[in-house]
Amino acid sequence: MNKAKIIFNQTMMISSAILFGMGIRTGVLYLVRGEYLIRWEWYIPLSIILSGLLCALASLVLYSDKDDDRQGEAIRIGLHFILVLGIVSLCGYLFGWYGDLFGYLIVLVMYVIIYAFVWASTVWMLKSDEKKINKAIDEIRDDE
Amino acid sequence: MKVEIRKAENYDKEEAVICAVSVTEDIRNAVDILRNNGMSIPVTSEGDTLMVKTDSIYYIESVDKRTYVYTKTGCHETKYRLYELEDMLGVGFLRCSKAMIVNIRKIRSVRAELNARLSAELLNGERLIISRGYVKELKKKLGIS
Repeated sequence: MNKAKIIFNQTMMISSAILFGMGIRTGVLYLVRGEYLIRWEWYIPLSIILSGLLCALASLVLYSDKDDDRQGEAIRIGLHFILVLGIVSLCGYLFGWYGDLFGYLIVLVMYVIIYAFVWASTVWMLKSDEKKINKAIDEIRDDE
Repeated sequence: MKVEIRKAENYDKEEAVICAVSVTEDIRNAVDILRNNGMSIPVTSEGDTLMVKTDSIYYIESVDKRTYVYTKTGCHETKYRLYELEDMLGVGFLRCSKAMIVNIRKIRSVRAELNARLSAELLNGERLIISRGYVKELKKKLGIS
């Protein structure tokens, strides 16, 4: 898959995840404070797409063609986590996704949950593919 | 022996089924040809030209515009370019990166990496990287949707 396609797909996925997260946030605020936060400013949908694009660009650090060992992979993921957290925090601040510290804490918790969920899903899909490929290879492998 | 040829929809659906009372030498040769195993490519090793059977190849690598063929016995240079070999070798071989072709039958196992690449261990113990751009092609060749 070329990089433009990866960025486009990830922008769509991350935008959907942010939209989902903001939906959860409005739900939590409604339950905790009884606030109705359905009405959004005109720029909010665009800010979601922009944030999705920035996070997708940040994820390019994960797709290096360098040969990494386990430690290298862990460093890369850690760097990605911090970079995306910075983007989410900055976009949240600029576009008013949170108004106070409590709102920011909700965004942080949401971010960690979504990040962990996305990685768990990715690893599950990769391992599932690995299993299928190894099974298919077993059937055609030469005897040596 | 009665021979019947049917048209397949695409290369992935191509297959040959042989119904025989016993597996004779002729049938073995036919199977070798069908599996591309009968084919050899010329290589040079210490100044001599040798013919290497394609089924003995583990992988082929291009380094500094030179092409090297790796077998169980060693490394040999060939005059062919990687893209020419890719066309010649057929479905049993996979372009696994810009500079490498691997014999799928020589892969012991693969391990998925977090950056969507596969690390493949060959039967000789060597490890190769299958770039994420070629993973889809591997799955297609193995018949995995």
